[in-house]
Amino acid sequence: MYGTQWPVVLLVTPLVGAALTPIIARRRAQLAGYWALFTFSIVSLAAAALTYQIHTQGEFSYYMGGWAPPIGIELRFDEFSASIAVICLVGWLSLLYCLGYAKHAIPERRIPYFYALMLLCLGGMNGFAVTGDIFNLFVFLEILSLAGYALVAITGDGIAELAAFKYLVMGAISSLSILLAIGIMYSLTGTLNMTDLAVRLSDVEPFPAAVAVAALTLGFCVKAALFPLHIWLPDAHSIAPSPVSAVLSGLVVKVGVLGMLRMFQILYASQVLDLTALNNVLMWLGAISIVMGALFAMVQDDIKMMLAYSTISNIGYIFLGLGLASTYGIIGASVHIFNHAIIKACLFLGAGSLIHQTGYRKLSDLRGVGKAMPITSAAIAVGAISIVGIPPTAGFLCKWYIALGAIEADRLFFAVALLFGALLIFVYYIRMLNAFYFMPPSHPEILEVGEAPLTMLIPIVILAILCLVMGIFGRIPLSFIEPAVINMLAPIGG
Amino acid sequence: MEVVDIRPLLAPLLSLFCGILVFAVGERTWWRRFWSLSAAVVKLALVYSMLPGVLDGKIYSYSLIEFTPGIGLAFRVDALGMFFAIVSSSLWLITTVYAIGYMEQEHERARFFGFFALCVSTTVGIAFAENLLTLFLFYEMLTICTYPLVVHEETPEAMKAGRKYLVYTLLGGVFVLLGCAVTFQWAGTLSLSTAGILPASVGKQGLSLLFAAFVIGFGVKAAIMPLHGWLPSAMVAPAPVSALLHAVAVVKAGAFGIMRVVFCVFGVELLRDLGITVWLAALASVTIVLASIIAMTQDNFKRRLAYSTISQLSYIVLGVALLTPLAALGAIVHIANQAFQKITMFFVAGAIQRTTGRTNIHELGGIGYQMPFTMGAFTVAALGFIGVPLTAGFITKWYLSLGAMEAENGWVFVVVLITSSILNAGYWLPVVYMAFFKVPPGTHLHIKEAHWTLLIPTLICAVYVILLGSFAEVPGMPLSLARTAVEFFFGL
Amino acid sequence: MKALWTNIDYVASVVLLLIGLYAIMAKGNLVKKLMGLNIIETAVFAFVMAAGIVDGGDAPIMGPGANPPFANPLPQGLILTGIVVAFSTSALALSLIIRIYARFGTIESEELWGVE
Repeated sequence: MYGTQWPVVLLVTPLVGAALTPIIARRRAQLAGYWALFTFSIVSLAAAALTYQIHTQGEFSYYMGGWAPPIGIELRFDEFSASIAVICLVGWLSLLYCLGYAKHAIPERRIPYFYALMLLCLGGMNGFAVTGDIFNLFVFLEILSLAGYALVAITGDGIAELAAFKYLVMGAISSLSILLAIGIMYSLTGTLNMTDLAVRLSDVEPFPAAVAVAALTLGFCVKAALFPLHIWLPDAHSIAPSPVSAVLSGLVVKVGVLGMLRMFQILYASQVLDLTALNNVLMWLGAISIVMGALFAMVQDDIKMMLAYSTISNIGYIFLGLGLASTYGIIGASVHIFNHAIIKACLFLGAGSLIHQTGYRKLSDLRGVGKAMPITSAAIAVGAISIVGIPPTAGFLCKWYIALGAIEADRLFFAVALLFGALLIFVYYIRMLNAFYFMPPSHPEILEVGEAPLTMLIPIVILAILCLVMGIFGRIPLSFIEPAVINMLAPIGG
Repeated sequence: MEVVDIRPLLAPLLSLFCGILVFAVGERTWWRRFWSLSAAVVKLALVYSMLPGVLDGKIYSYSLIEFTPGIGLAFRVDALGMFFAIVSSSLWLITTVYAIGYMEQEHERARFFGFFALCVSTTVGIAFAENLLTLFLFYEMLTICTYPLVVHEETPEAMKAGRKYLVYTLLGGVFVLLGCAVTFQWAGTLSLSTAGILPASVGKQGLSLLFAAFVIGFGVKAAIMPLHGWLPSAMVAPAPVSALLHAVAVVKAGAFGIMRVVFCVFGVELLRDLGITVWLAALASVTIVLASIIAMTQDNFKRRLAYSTISQLSYIVLGVALLTPLAALGAIVHIANQAFQKITMFFVAGAIQRTTGRTNIHELGGIGYQMPFTMGAFTVAALGFIGVPLTAGFITKWYLSLGAMEAENGWVFVVVLITSSILNAGYWLPVVYMAFFKVPPGTHLHIKEAHWTLLIPTLICAVYVILLGSFAEVPGMPLSLARTAVEFFFGL
Repeated sequence: MKALWTNIDYVASVVLLLIGLYAIMAKGNLVKKLMGLNIIETAVFAFVMAAGIVDGGDAPIMGPGANPPFANPLPQGLILTGIVVAFSTSALALSLIIRIYARFGTIESEELWGVE
């Protein structure tokens, strides 16, 4: 059938591309960037084709090599897998951004490896999103995590290696926790296929299943940096090169959330456990994350550190929505996976441009940069307004759905907490905008710097426009997510 | 009769494009003036072109897109929205002329005029919003767009005022959003096209809490005490901003929001059964009197104006809360009346500041000998606030009093209105007295008026105050429009 | 007590896991932290392997003389992958430690706090 091999292209191209990068860039390091961009363009094409297929014909499966499960490897393309679209979008724009950025920010001999790791990380994420088998889930998780640890350390600046090590230890523990859970589930059911698992889990003993769920939750919560498991995130995300921060903050933490969604899909379908307690915990941790992330962000002067803490707040939104276990709540959480990726990528890439052009990374040093780099600053302003959830930007819809979800689940308190938490977030973003626009520069020479090169400017502008467009045309992600969520909650009568 | 028409969409879009163009032309003064003025004129024409239809009972609507299921970005022009839109777009034109003169020497003029246009865009958006979410969307955008105007001076004081403004108004926004979400859950719609969408079956307690949330949310911008703290501080903004935004657009957006909630979300019938608006009326009465008393103690001209605004806005809230047709009529008309009176005063304050550098009232002795036309306009506005017949303020007071008498224990509110008139006289007449009669020895009639760009808008507004008072019953004047709105909401 | 004894393999894994966790949290030396991580890895691998054992089962190698029951081969396959992953994690961690030592001259986390 036409286009049936797209899944292979999606998964294999980045791996092959990554392996070839150091060879291709042997003589000229800068070639690596173009090669990576080219490779990932093919991947993006495949992702676009597959997303379109999901859109037109609904959920479908692909068997690697034609082997049907339980022997073969199943790739399952459902609505949540459509996140490959956003992974490729943000990934592609970040790679484009790297063309201008990597030259100065990354030591030349590491550039080929940098691009190879980027490809691995993004490719792993695509695999994670589409696999239909929990063990492959783990394998892809490890591919992207290992690439992520290395990417954090790649500049070799300051505490980069230390941050990477901290990230690695936390990440490895969480991966092992997930592996443990997979082992338990396998020994309970004898299958690794998610669809099978959902069926067979329904008549196993609840206690070991609960242990597995706890281990899985723990693992994914560390990956997603839910408070209080976030301690690795701020250093790693702020010290990494900006396009990497964009990918880590926008996409890699979402892996944890996506994993949780997959777990909930299985658990709701099998109904092996009463999830009320788990949902309550997630809800509370989500609410606390929102507030704590905002409070920490407020005292930061380093712009990337501030953005990193803001990620923790936003992960709080998503977990709050998940924990509500109501249709609107989960819709809000899922839509926020998409929207936050776009918004946070816009902010991190924008911040990267500011740092790249001015050489300063503290808000107190960046004063007046709004006049020097109007387009970048405007894009950051759009991102900031969007992440706070001022309508009609992308962030608003999520806030609205999660608030509706809280009311739907009869938990008005969480709606209040969410909305006031958003306000708290605004306090520190307004500090940033004040510094950019309404304060006299503390370093007069900052007014002399110009906009970043086009390869860096274009991705930021595209993302900023998307921040607006995704708000106004909010139905597009929604049309994907809504049926999936309704399907998912159908067994518990959602 | 509903008519699909693109004009309700074009009206906010026009100012939006104007704002973008102003940003684009940057510091090129001539082009900036050209775009600002022509957009203001075209927009006014656009809004007025819908007036005859609306007076005939036509309703123009345009649905742009559905951005969440069941709720779209949709516009709908009914009489009440038309009323608000006419007031704000007329005053936009006048204020643009004034601002061009006033901001001559200022920095960052592109930013100023750009956001100025965006604010008007959002205000018209609020006026024409078809549903509560569209209204909220523009309500929040208004907050964001006014912030750069409030902090325009970039002084520490301005930054502090800006912060205070944002905290107050965004907190209010949270309550509105919460209210929207709960309303959507209970009513299944957020449409503002009928007189009441909430079912009474929800229960008294829940509805009362919801009403309180809306009142707090919109009350922040309407500056109902004790939510008024931001308004006096925000007076650090340049005079045209204070004039248009803090006497017209922002504060009226709050009052307009309360009207929409009372008339379109809850509906008069439901609120009468609930019996909670009496609390709102009491709160408004307290605000009217207390703010007037505070105003008497203020020496800074603009701060006195700010407290006067707080007091006057509660007339509108009071009129809405009384839930009688005549009181509602008074309230709606007061949107226009207060706007023209207050903008005259702000223009005067700005003109005096620009021409003589004086900002305090005790410095104004004999100013009438220097700027007779400006102070003449001021006198007209002052008489309007006191409620002297033939001025706009009289019409408001007359209908509010009539409406209050229809309500239970209405005489209390009539007493409040009379007290307020006396207090208004108490703090505005001394200014007039100082200007014309308490002349420092040796002052001669030495006319040194403000620049014409400042003077002409002031005089136009003053003339309008008298027109609104003397020819209120002429068809096409605001009163007729307000009457159409009231007839719809009360089902008359 | 008896339950513990019959499940001695699981108990051992849990004990190992706790030891590893202790090492990661309590030890300041980065290499020791890494060793703690390795202990946890081993614990998890052992646990999953143990789950795949069938009492009295043979190695699942087909051919002459192969007779059921067989031990489940899949967990072993999984763990093989897990070991590869763990190996690369350790390699990456060690190289990071070398870089840290080269830059700061120490790998004691108390002393590294200062440079953060």
